[in-house]
Amino acid sequence: MLESFSPLIFRSGLVAAVLLTIGLSSCGPSPEPVSLKRATAADIIQQVSEYKGREAVLVNFWATWCAPCVQEFPMIVELGRRYRDEGLKIYFVSVDWLEQSDRVRTFLEQQGVEGLSFIKDEKDNPFIDGIARDWTGAVPFTIVYAKRSGAAMELWEGKAHRERFENAIEMALEN
Amino acid sequence: MKLTMRVLPVVLLLVSTTLGKELSLGSSIPLPDLKMLDVGGKELSLNDITGSNGLVVIFSCNTCPWVDAWEDRYVELANAYLPKGFGFVAVNSNAAYRSKGDSYDDMQSRAKKMGYTFYYTLDKQSELARAFGATRTPHVFVFDADRKLVYRGAIDDNAKRPDKVEARYLADALDACLAGKDVKTASTKALGCTIKFDD
Repeated sequence: MLESFSPLIFRSGLVAAVLLTIGLSSCGPSPEPVSLKRATAADIIQQVSEYKGREAVLVNFWATWCAPCVQEFPMIVELGRRYRDEGLKIYFVSVDWLEQSDRVRTFLEQQGVEGLSFIKDEKDNPFIDGIARDWTGAVPFTIVYAKRSGAAMELWEGKAHRERFENAIEMALEN
Repeated sequence: MKLTMRVLPVVLLLVSTTLGKELSLGSSIPLPDLKMLDVGGKELSLNDITGSNGLVVIFSCNTCPWVDAWEDRYVELANAYLPKGFGFVAVNSNAAYRSKGDSYDDMQSRAKKMGYTFYYTLDKQSELARAFGATRTPHVFVFDADRKLVYRGAIDDNAKRPDKVEARYLADALDACLAGKDVKTASTKALGCTIKFDD
């Protein structure tokens, strides 16, 4: 009896294992598709302000053709994942030409960025001043906003080392 | 890059920045006697290049798409204003990119290929860029006949589309100098590539 049922039990177990595997993988969080939105400085400031009192926000301005931007990009994505549960939100703002939107979207997808990102849709001068009066316009440019107050805590032009990002993020999470 | 750490109180928080401090309007030409090697093979200083009506300095390079976009206007503007008594020089301060497209040989090739009619000098250790507080390419500085800074910023308001330019910042500043008037828009901003300082 037992012997005659063994293959059936084995097959049932195998089917259950396969179904469980499929079930587990489909229940996990699926990656959110990239949404690339045209934005003015005011749009970005508004988006950041929505996190005031809840999360620290890091905004990185970059371009696909900017070598230092591309070099530091994977590290920023990784830091976003690492600090996500501690209350950090990261936004990427591309300053590529608008007609390069497809190229920007592809790059973001390749880098594993999910959800909302932005591409500049405003003349340079008002855009730069609208983000930060102290920004001279050089990219990459990074600005970090404090969790509780929502105030800009640190901003810098040029590529930075991991330590600089980590220090800025941790300070923003504490304030 | 010239580093300035400024601490500003904002909602009881410390804001720190690492940004260039641009030369103040009204300043004299910094390091006017610093000799730089021009693509023509001569050692030249800004004093040597300044014309009777002033000087245009553009921090530039060979490796920046924003330079690529604006570069056609370098030549147009130089051709228009060199005969009117302005000195005109592009300066390459990308010390950290000498092996990545910004060597002296690369500069010579670039000047030839793009038909530069003006000086293109090597700021070997980025000394001039630091003295100007230049942060990006292109980054423009205009000195009047009295050798005082009267304009700093962008060439115009549309890098990508010359036919869509609405504000000709640099040309307007040069015309104001020639007319003996104040420059109406004396400071502007534009996106650009960071100057690659060797630090």
